[in-house]
Amino acid sequence: MKEVKRKEFYVFSPFLRVFHWIMVVSIVVLFCTGVIIATPLQSVNLEPTYSVTYMDLVRDIHFVVAFIFAASFILRVYGFVINKGDRLFPHFWKGYFYRQTIEVALHYMFLKYEHSSFLRNPLARASYAMLYVLVAVEFITGFAMYFLANPDSIWGGISAWIIMVCGGEMMAHLIHHYVAWGIILFAIGHLYMVIRAEFMEGESEVSAMFSGYKFLIHNPKDATDSDLSGEKHLI
Amino acid sequence: MKHVVVDPITRIEGHLRVEVSVDEASGKVTDAISSGTAWRGLEIIMKDRDPRDAWAYIQRVCGVCTTAHALASVRAVEDALGISIPKNANYVRNIMAATLTVQDHIVHFYHLHALDWVSPVEALAADPVATANLQNTVLATYKLPFRAPETSATEAFEHDYPAATPSYFAEIQAKVKAIVDSGKLGIFSAQWWDHPDFKILPPEVHLMAVAHYLEMLDKQRELVTPHVIFGGKNPHPHYVVGGMPCSVSLTDGNAPVNAARLGVVDRAINMGRSLINNYYLPDLLAIGHLYVKAGKVDGGGLAGTRVLGVGAYPLETYSATSDGGFFKDLLVRCNGVVENFKDGVANAVYSEISAEDLTSSDTLTEGVEHSWYSYPKDGDLHPWDGVTEPKFTGPKEGTGTEWKTLNEQGKYSWLKTPKWKGKVCEVGPLARYIIVYTKAKKGILGDLTWAEDMMVKQVEAVSQVLGVAPEVWLPTMVGRTAARALDGQLAAEINKYYFDKLVANLKSGDTTMANMSKWDPERWPAECKGVGLYEAPRGALQHWICIKNGKTANYQCVVPTTWNACPRDSKAGQGAYELAMMDTKVAVPDKPLEIAKVIRSFDPCMACATHMFNAKGERLGVMTTDPYSGTRMDKE
Amino acid sequence: MEKRESLWEKCLRKGISRRTFIKGCTGLCALMGVSVDRLAEVVEAAEAKPLPVVIWIHGHECTGCDESFIRSAAPLASDLVLSQIDLEYDHLLSAACGEPFEAHLKATMAANKGNYILAVEGATCTKDNGVYCMSGGHTFSSLLKEAAAGAMAVIAYGTCAAYGGIQAAKPNPTGSSGIGAFCGATPVVNVPGCPPIPEVMTGVVMHVALFGSLPPLDGEGRPKQFYGNRIHDTCYRRPFFDAAMFADSYDDAGAKAGWCLYKLGCRGPETYNSCGNIRWFEGLSYPIQSGAACIGCANANFWDDGVGSFSERLPKYGKLGNADKIGTAVGAAAVVGVAAHAAASVVQKGKREAIEAAESGKKESR
Repeated sequence: MKEVKRKEFYVFSPFLRVFHWIMVVSIVVLFCTGVIIATPLQSVNLEPTYSVTYMDLVRDIHFVVAFIFAASFILRVYGFVINKGDRLFPHFWKGYFYRQTIEVALHYMFLKYEHSSFLRNPLARASYAMLYVLVAVEFITGFAMYFLANPDSIWGGISAWIIMVCGGEMMAHLIHHYVAWGIILFAIGHLYMVIRAEFMEGESEVSAMFSGYKFLIHNPKDATDSDLSGEKHLI
Repeated sequence: MKHVVVDPITRIEGHLRVEVSVDEASGKVTDAISSGTAWRGLEIIMKDRDPRDAWAYIQRVCGVCTTAHALASVRAVEDALGISIPKNANYVRNIMAATLTVQDHIVHFYHLHALDWVSPVEALAADPVATANLQNTVLATYKLPFRAPETSATEAFEHDYPAATPSYFAEIQAKVKAIVDSGKLGIFSAQWWDHPDFKILPPEVHLMAVAHYLEMLDKQRELVTPHVIFGGKNPHPHYVVGGMPCSVSLTDGNAPVNAARLGVVDRAINMGRSLINNYYLPDLLAIGHLYVKAGKVDGGGLAGTRVLGVGAYPLETYSATSDGGFFKDLLVRCNGVVENFKDGVANAVYSEISAEDLTSSDTLTEGVEHSWYSYPKDGDLHPWDGVTEPKFTGPKEGTGTEWKTLNEQGKYSWLKTPKWKGKVCEVGPLARYIIVYTKAKKGILGDLTWAEDMMVKQVEAVSQVLGVAPEVWLPTMVGRTAARALDGQLAAEINKYYFDKLVANLKSGDTTMANMSKWDPERWPAECKGVGLYEAPRGALQHWICIKNGKTANYQCVVPTTWNACPRDSKAGQGAYELAMMDTKVAVPDKPLEIAKVIRSFDPCMACATHMFNAKGERLGVMTTDPYSGTRMDKE
Repeated sequence: MEKRESLWEKCLRKGISRRTFIKGCTGLCALMGVSVDRLAEVVEAAEAKPLPVVIWIHGHECTGCDESFIRSAAPLASDLVLSQIDLEYDHLLSAACGEPFEAHLKATMAANKGNYILAVEGATCTKDNGVYCMSGGHTFSSLLKEAAAGAMAVIAYGTCAAYGGIQAAKPNPTGSSGIGAFCGATPVVNVPGCPPIPEVMTGVVMHVALFGSLPPLDGEGRPKQFYGNRIHDTCYRRPFFDAAMFADSYDDAGAKAGWCLYKLGCRGPETYNSCGNIRWFEGLSYPIQSGAACIGCANANFWDDGVGSFSERLPKYGKLGNADKIGTAVGAAAVVGVAAHAAASVVQKGKREAIEAAESGKKESR
């Protein structure tokens, strides 16, 4: 085996990493419970007295996990404040963002053997920004529907306009449902791309979400987006 | 000659305007026009909707005859899809229909029609003691004893009986006096109370009728509880294509319908019978008798010339309508057209309406010669081929948004002109009675059902009371109103009849309420058409639907009030409203109470009439109405 | 302006005892969901306030709201119309018609300017100057503007008046809309429903009649008393939802047992109305209790609402099926695509490494 010289980059703070894994679990649980809420399975209860009240259990799980997920954004925000590597936002306003995006896209379309090295490539950055938009839509519509059980409450009042913007609660339900599928489609793509990057391009995408470090052969184009970097020799 | 406009006509459903030209010397109406003045375009809204939801949309055509359009709609969809509903659903729907008829007729007579006959002001002169005596005399003289045979007796005695005590009438009179004295007449404001017609009845009749007006205002709500049990609410109860949503179970704890819920239905049915037998029919006959005695046998118009019906109350569930199954087993076989009834049964001409007449392209058609619509070419169209292209031309005098008089030479109504074989017809309870009576007397019906037998006996009994032959009193304004009361009595009995059938069937162990075998659109043909028929309280109602790839491609209704209130046609002549007005004498042209009265004798329902025509769903042309330059149409 | 009578004065004139009057007021407390310790306030209100003049006008409508109004049991419509309000103009109940009726309308509006309650049933037609809805020879839209300008308050009865209703459903051929935007500065109370529950309709009038003020409204202008909860949150079948006991089809075992209708497309979870608590006909039933899924008739856009069918909670897209089916299919396609991409990537990587090896081989051989 050939020795490859790799550079070490500290990218993800522990806060972001914990947040990420909370998000993973939350999305899985929220999606599964959400599908059941939208299209419940028939229970085989014969009499309500002896029933396992699973719909309210499923709903409770859905709501509790939603609150945990929402609360975990505190970690995300804190990491964002203290660590440069947690701020890998797509630079929409820069010309190079588009050039690099095209380059990466060409590689993924097999028209180019490889793309330049990045801490995080611009396509991925855009997709994560998109994910946050989707999650935000889920939070906004979800909490609006949740709090409107008591429209007279403060949160109910705040939620009312969201329902109006959606064009009614039925529409809010539908938007919430469609966007959930959007997140799942993102997850499929995301899962593949990180595994691919890990094994195909040796970009240590998966391990970085555990360790916080990325080990790259080439100097990434966006190296300045990370605070700490150093060389390390790896087998 | 005086041109009189009455707009709005109130105590009806929707927006109706009439204009009459009255010869002041003779009181004769020389010309009359009837105009529906609103159009909502529901036919266009129906396009591409789920046919299983059609009943919900179409029911919103009208809240007064709520349930009527829903019933015709589910029948049309089931005909298209070939769904045969369970026995129980047929019984329940007949109970819904009969319940509507009972309640609607009572509300029409007391709350929509009575104030043309009866005046609270006249009631002030009544003697309460004499009124109490009158009440007793009326009950003794004018009750008609007809009942459905062998129905269950579930009440110990008739709970709903009019009070006949002087103190009761004195209290009502005091209440009326207080209202009149306060000068705040509220709903009684601004009527032509000084019209000579209000002098036809003695003060005691006025007081009795005003008392019953108030009683019925309180009671009518209880009559529709079967709708609330079976359909969840009223107005606008729920239906389901394939049957009814109200599952029955006598073994579950929370079933929509169980023995206790049936008890509520039975109570309402019993009440309906009592109210009609003890209030409505005696009051109607007492007043009608005085009118006939006073020589008021006008306002017939088209009724004596041509009436149309489609048949009512399927005895058992049937295969479909367009294959003729609907017509095979009806409790009231009023499907057909009777012409020239005014010359007596012997000279009357009867024509059958069968399945082919519904679907053939030239039997039932609609024209737009005087309607604010345009067709691509001259001539009439079968509703299935119909076109809805509004063409508002404004009034004769005034502007598009401020009318003075409408143009009887040109277009003047949002109603089309429906025709049977190129001729206009009158529909309604009066039509049903004329048709069944004629068919029975001519021996066309063979063995009469109990209901048909009852109808014939009712007509004969009233003829005896009034002392004139059916062809004299039936095709008149009084006859139209009287036939509605008879129809109410019949419906109350039919209600009980189907309730008993429902209970017997449930007892046999059959609790099925909906046939869901073709609920899934994947089991539907790619393209199909259906017809739904229903004898609504106001007359013959027909719904047509075309379904394509699981969606509504075309939806049409020809509605009772469209038949009656339609504008004229150069070939077919004038419609029932216009002819009835022209057959009416106006005593005081400034106060055309007789005109309002004869129009209300039809129980107009304009929302039904104006909004539900054929549509292919073409986009509407853009219409610009400029008060100075008139109206023009811009094609999109 | 002549003095208008109060409820108490009316009772005095009719010889109704003080005791009966107070009893009536207690009943009203119960009706309006006001606690009895506010009885004094109700009594005072009933004693002092003159009977409110009500003018009821009809636009694009079906008269179902009028019909619902007269179905009210407490107060009875007769009591309300004849002794608790002064209903001066209504197409359904008023005796008069034609010219004298329209003159009476003008006179009533002028005499009670700023003091009458305008009840509106039906949508207003806006397209082509409103010629699709004419009454008395005028457009309804012009009448609405005039009548609303002089009113103390406007009550928009029914979903049509509140939001446009059935005629405003796509493609809205007559340009119909709710009346709110045409009432100027006059406050509007929305009382949606197709039709609204009878006692809700009369309850709103009673609130105005007794307290002389509009009932507290929510963000959509609806009285909080009657539209404060979703039907789902007050539905007597909610325990079956929580226990996941559903009817899967009309008239199946679950439907017969009266289980939750959620899977039949019930709109209870997003509809604000009193069907679950007040119910219809004094608690007798409401659609769900009668086995019929709610269609959400008190919601602004319930006729369209993004769903192809009332019987489904998720719309179907032709042969594609509903969102879950489409989502599953797209998800499966994505997985297949990913696998293919992975395979192609392996091939590409192999080629790349071959090239790199060749290049480094060249370098080394040099």
